[in-house]
Amino acid sequence: MSAPLSANQALLLVARREFTTQVRSRSFVIGLLVTLGLFGGIALLGGFIAGQSSNPSLGVTPETVSLQPAIEAAAATQDVALRIEPVDDGPGRERVDTGDLDALLTGSAGGYELLGRDTVDTQLQAVVGTAVQQQALAGALAESGVDAAQLAQQSQVAVDTLVPADPNRGEQLALAIIGTVLLFISLSGYGQLVATGVVEEKQSRVVELLLATIKPWQLLAGKVLGLGAVGLLQLVILGVIGTVAAAVGGLLTVPGAAAGMFAMVVLWYLIGFFLFAALYAAIGSTVSRQEELNSVVTPLIFVLMIPFILVVNLLPNDPRNELAAVLSFVPFLSQTVMPARYALGVAPLWEVGVSALIALVAVVVVVRVAGRVYENSILRTGARVGLREALGRPAAGPADPQPSTRSSA
Amino acid sequence: MLDIRGVSKRFGRVHALDDVSFSVRPGEVFGFVGSNGAGKTTTMRIVLGVLSADAGDVVWQGRPVDAEVRRRIGYMPEERGLYPKMKVGDQLTYLARLHGLPAAEAGAAVQRWTELLDVGHRLGDEVQKLSLGNQQRVQLAAALVHDPEVLVLDEPFSGLDPTAVEVMSGVLRRKADAGVPVIFSSHQLELVERLCDRIGIIAGGRMVAVGSVAELRERDGSTAFDVQGPPAGWAADVPGVLSVDGTRVRLAPGTDDQQVLKAALAAGPVHEFRRWRPPLTELYRDVVKSGASA
Repeated sequence: MSAPLSANQALLLVARREFTTQVRSRSFVIGLLVTLGLFGGIALLGGFIAGQSSNPSLGVTPETVSLQPAIEAAAATQDVALRIEPVDDGPGRERVDTGDLDALLTGSAGGYELLGRDTVDTQLQAVVGTAVQQQALAGALAESGVDAAQLAQQSQVAVDTLVPADPNRGEQLALAIIGTVLLFISLSGYGQLVATGVVEEKQSRVVELLLATIKPWQLLAGKVLGLGAVGLLQLVILGVIGTVAAAVGGLLTVPGAAAGMFAMVVLWYLIGFFLFAALYAAIGSTVSRQEELNSVVTPLIFVLMIPFILVVNLLPNDPRNELAAVLSFVPFLSQTVMPARYALGVAPLWEVGVSALIALVAVVVVVRVAGRVYENSILRTGARVGLREALGRPAAGPADPQPSTRSSA
Repeated sequence: MLDIRGVSKRFGRVHALDDVSFSVRPGEVFGFVGSNGAGKTTTMRIVLGVLSADAGDVVWQGRPVDAEVRRRIGYMPEERGLYPKMKVGDQLTYLARLHGLPAAEAGAAVQRWTELLDVGHRLGDEVQKLSLGNQQRVQLAAALVHDPEVLVLDEPFSGLDPTAVEVMSGVLRRKADAGVPVIFSSHQLELVERLCDRIGIIAGGRMVAVGSVAELRERDGSTAFDVQGPPAGWAADVPGVLSVDGTRVRLAPGTDDQQVLKAALAAGPVHEFRRWRPPLTELYRDVVKSGASA
């Protein structure tokens, strides 16, 4: 015999179905593997590029070999790890052509030439330029009887910063980018799943059977919670694997920062997910077939991409960018911008808290409006439900959430 | 007893239901007939709370039907709906649990009903892999799996093969015999006539007739007889005869059939004098016609 079912039990039953169906599905495992592969690929590519760009090599001919000490000194002060090789002019040119050497220094005083294949590394240009200048200067000074070493000491400028330079800036940037990418993938991916699930129930008409048993908000909330939990699970799996892999690979030197960023990503995933899942569900409920879904969710994908693109373009060179600072408080954008600013160490915790509170207020408003659209639209098949109908008072629509209160009145 | 009292519903300018009232008693199979768009599905959706009524109410055992009561109704929507990619067993268990059955009982009920409906061997298959007939059986199992106190089935027989129709009829009869009021809609009037204790005919959003087939036959009090033997035209001037259609003679309410028989015998030999009991198809046609002209 059936027993009374509380609202929470109904909601949990729905959430559990969504969770188990999704976690057992092939797409969950594949999605996880693809994301891991993507991150692994990015890490490998990054390492490869880093390996490529370091240690430029320079050939010096018998005519220019006298510059070698000056070049080495300039390289040392400019912090460039330079490999210098004395070669003859002809073979040297060939080795530049094959890429074995990055550049060849030819010519003589007054007419030096730095020869590259199709371009010359800018660091190499700077180092060689400095060396040639200094040598010319030293010669001129000696002729006029000035002690070059003394002059150099007198003309030195010491560089210092008010705030000690953060030695972990690169790592912070990596964390910010990875966190932003993870959030983007999770929010757009699982938001899309919510919309797909809503349309699946509508298209297969199972929703009528479900709504004869439970209320629309229970079905919607259960779906959002269930799928949100799957997204969280994926986030945690990726986070743990990523952190462990980075630590083992020696890429991670500040585990505290990684843990903080991880917590931040989880927090903003939860806020962002409820915000966007509600919108995805509402938009999904207005169409009747999966084929119609893509065109109507495109605006949401744009909204998710804008802060992502802003973060990736603005913050690496300018963590204190004012536009980003303002946008990190704007709901729908803050879930991406704020954690990135936090990772870069430019947003204190109180700013994160204020931004999270603003976003939570937005969640409350959006969930209410989205719930109304969902209730008004979920049983309407055929043409797309218009905005005015969707936003109308639920009691006027066909899918009254509480018909009993009216029919018993 | 399930009472539908004065239910009205408009969709924009269309009056889908206009003051619809009828009752279904425990142990009764109630057939709901009417042309497409007459209001059957809208009525059932309102009973289930999937739609809200503009006026009127639905009462079960003296209590307005609320979410708690609805959970004990078994429902088969006109638009069949199950999760296409979910396994039959998982799906039915889920629906049983949503209706409030504890996990263990839900599993047992799923076993029992799928075996009874002959889809027990498909529990591990996705619904979309089943034939339409078998999907329909699963849909019926979904309506029955929580041992409902009321059954509301929208077109449960459409698309079923004769064997499945027999199985489905048997199940409905058994549920009714166990004291459950059963409402179902159908266009198969012979089936409705055979299976139903009472019938409701709806046309243009209004209930135009409610009652047993016998009651529907005597709705206007007139009776009809097939009379074989007397020469044509014998009944033209017999008092109480309303109309003659070939050998069929229709009598006004209260007419003494023995007097008519005597008049027939006076006109010639009578080989057959038999009360004509029109089948539901004919009653339906007449009722809908008179309902439309009223």
